[in-house]
Amino acid sequence: MEKVIGIDLGTTNSCVAIVENGVPTVIPNRGGYKTTPSMVAITEAGKRLVGHIAKRQAITNAENTVYAAKRLIGRKWSSPQVKNAVATSSYRIVQGPHADVRVVLREKEYSVSEISAMVLQEMKVIAEDYLGDPVFKTVITVPAYFNDNQRQATKDAGEIAGLDVIRIINEPTAAALSYGFGKNVEKTVAVYDFGGGTFDISILEIGSSGIFKVIATAGDTFLGGEDVDARIIDWLVHGFKEEHGIDLRQDRMALQRLKDAAEKAKCELSSVRDTEVNLPFIISSGRNEALHLQRTIDRPTLDQLSADLIQRTVDICQQTLADAHLEKRDIEEVILVGGMTRMPKIQQAVAEFFEQDPCKGVHPDECVALGAGIQGAALIDDKHEMVLLDVTPHALGIMTQGGYFEELIPQNTTVPTHRTKIFTTSRDHQTAVKIVVMQGESERAEENELLGEFILMGLRRAPKGSVEIEVTFEINADGIVSVHAKDLETSKEQSIEVTASSGLTRDEIQNMMEGAKDYMVERRSSEEFEAAKQEAERIVAEIERLLPQVEQIVATSDFGRDAIEKARAVVAKARHAVGKRDVAAIKSEIDGLSRTQRMFKGVVAKTH
Amino acid sequence: MTDQPPSDKKTPKPPADASTRASDRPTVNPPFDLEAFARSMAANPAESDPADDSSHGEAGTPTRSDRITMTDELELEVARAKSAESTQPPQPRPSGLLSIADARVPSMPAPRSLSPSSIEAAVLGALATAPGPEITERWIEDPSAEMRERFSLGDYTGALEMVELILADDPANLEAAECGENCRTVLENMYSAKLGPTDRVPMIIVPRTQMRWLSIDHRAGFILSLVDGTSSVEMVLDVSGMPRLDALRILHELVQQRIVAFR
Repeated sequence: MEKVIGIDLGTTNSCVAIVENGVPTVIPNRGGYKTTPSMVAITEAGKRLVGHIAKRQAITNAENTVYAAKRLIGRKWSSPQVKNAVATSSYRIVQGPHADVRVVLREKEYSVSEISAMVLQEMKVIAEDYLGDPVFKTVITVPAYFNDNQRQATKDAGEIAGLDVIRIINEPTAAALSYGFGKNVEKTVAVYDFGGGTFDISILEIGSSGIFKVIATAGDTFLGGEDVDARIIDWLVHGFKEEHGIDLRQDRMALQRLKDAAEKAKCELSSVRDTEVNLPFIISSGRNEALHLQRTIDRPTLDQLSADLIQRTVDICQQTLADAHLEKRDIEEVILVGGMTRMPKIQQAVAEFFEQDPCKGVHPDECVALGAGIQGAALIDDKHEMVLLDVTPHALGIMTQGGYFEELIPQNTTVPTHRTKIFTTSRDHQTAVKIVVMQGESERAEENELLGEFILMGLRRAPKGSVEIEVTFEINADGIVSVHAKDLETSKEQSIEVTASSGLTRDEIQNMMEGAKDYMVERRSSEEFEAAKQEAERIVAEIERLLPQVEQIVATSDFGRDAIEKARAVVAKARHAVGKRDVAAIKSEIDGLSRTQRMFKGVVAKTH
Repeated sequence: MTDQPPSDKKTPKPPADASTRASDRPTVNPPFDLEAFARSMAANPAESDPADDSSHGEAGTPTRSDRITMTDELELEVARAKSAESTQPPQPRPSGLLSIADARVPSMPAPRSLSPSSIEAAVLGALATAPGPEITERWIEDPSAEMRERFSLGDYTGALEMVELILADDPANLEAAECGENCRTVLENMYSAKLGPTDRVPMIIVPRTQMRWLSIDHRAGFILSLVDGTSSVEMVLDVSGMPRLDALRILHELVQQRIVAFR
């Protein structure tokens, strides 16, 4: 059966999972880590770095390292979130040709989907290395509040990475799936997701026969674990400045080490009461003397530094319950998602607010990917009957006379769904109407997001108000919106499928896919060369180590001298193949090298 | 490999900081390996003899034969005079040999020992017998000629210093840019050859309790922080955030100082 992987494409970290023999499993990367930083960088030498290695140089190479691309994906250049990112990001963000957003790395422009595609490609490689087979199909998770453009842009990113995205599902839904897997659960749950870059709270109803219904969702896209790291850095920097009069933030190398140390200290304080931050040679003084930073931070200090951030999450939870017309007692289970939920103070705050201990049965870093993997397995397994009922996070409607927004499908309506309303003409003798499809909560159309538009022509010339036009909105399980408009008198109709725009044309996506393919070919080729080279060099080193002894033993015989010459020739040929980066030649020389190595070992062993 | 007597070796020239004004620079080299002297003073101020380059009694300090030394002022002058008389252009020296100049990038601050006053005293003492500022004034007059000269003599670090001076005034100078590129390539190749294959994994071999007493600067401290026992040399170079040559040089020095070793 074809394999399907589930990918949690996170703001700061991503995770990939699969269901093997009925067991959902997270796939670790080569370093053994189960999550991979969602970071992409281009070095001065033009090399692409993705994941952990990109994170390690995120500050020293800040202008050419992209992080939190998820905050930009699918957004228009004019959106407030993009403006915020432009003002606060260390990398350059510019306007694209379709009013979309592009990122500039080493003087080259990339679309945000392209950047996310690099992360997805990395997750694909992780899965393929583990499984030993190519992987094509995937389910990717997105925040519940993502609109159609953002979801489409995420799908485009998957396509660019060489993946067939068979479903986009909401992250809290995936977490609830993971929670309810294998259990006969019927509950109303709250999913408290505090990740590296964002905070989300969602309320779901888990029904019988695997029905998951998202009732409400809210959050803050600029509140996450990195904000807590920043507080720790500030505290360390302030203390150092008081002692030495030097602001460590002015030096990138110091700041990079501080960031890594702050995150490490934060994580350690989840299990110990205090920890030492020890950074020798952190900076040089004005007298060219190297200074050291050594400071102990304890849990009460961390709690104090992050108190207001934690309170913000509680405030959002409060508002969300109120908006959903729910009481705390209606929540039967609280599921914790995201690394930050390991922090004892956060667990305490959640328990105090919801007046119950949160569930610790799901892994906070992995449950979203596991849920995506479960959904993927269900989709390709016909025997599996699982229904996911999601909600549309934003209201849908059309623009009407006077620039108003007429809502057809309210926010948080369960999908799939369809609604119909009758409209009429606004001018006498109007023979065509333009249906402008929008998404949002504002009464004013200009404040909402434009999804698409089309024209229904051939209307009867009549006084305004006398022609009836039926408009139907339909949203399928994938969240794709279709809009139909029909003249009830003539039965003329027109429709569009609102293929949300990610800002990329088909040609652009095709070009990016080719680029991604070429990159993978080159990378695999490079990895193959490195592996062959290492093997050859290992054997050559062993031969050269044994050579003096063998020469001593066999130098007196013609056969021995001939064997030595042949061995030297084999080594020279292998070195030549390595120099030419000829993988096939290296592999063929490895046989000869291995034989030579065995012979030398035999000769030496016989004399001992 | 045996140590050669100091007199047979070219003694190092102090790295000239491109940003330093001419009048601030020492006008002559001390007749000993300044860097080695600084290290030995830091390790054992009472015993070090600046004239004896091979007297590195402390563990962790490199032997004389491992180090690449630079030509001194006197030898450079002799070479210039000879090249002016010669009808043939001087042959560039092949890389990898001990005759190549020390590859200290001039824009980087030199690591200082814990007792700078003793070094300064030694330098000042050496300066007392130095010739006058004539040579320095001639270098500034024609940096391009000096750049070519140093390059031809195999003094790639010195040539790089001149490249930076020239490009600071004339960023579009193609000759200087090309020379700089060539110098960096040679120096990078040299350090890469010394460090070995870049897929090797370096490890810190100094106990953590002794780290604070190492004689390194914050840039070396940063490179050291990247050595985690699992990252290869190539990965360390990728994430160092500094020019490859700088990172290679620092890593090489850390190996030379026996702070880092390879698996």
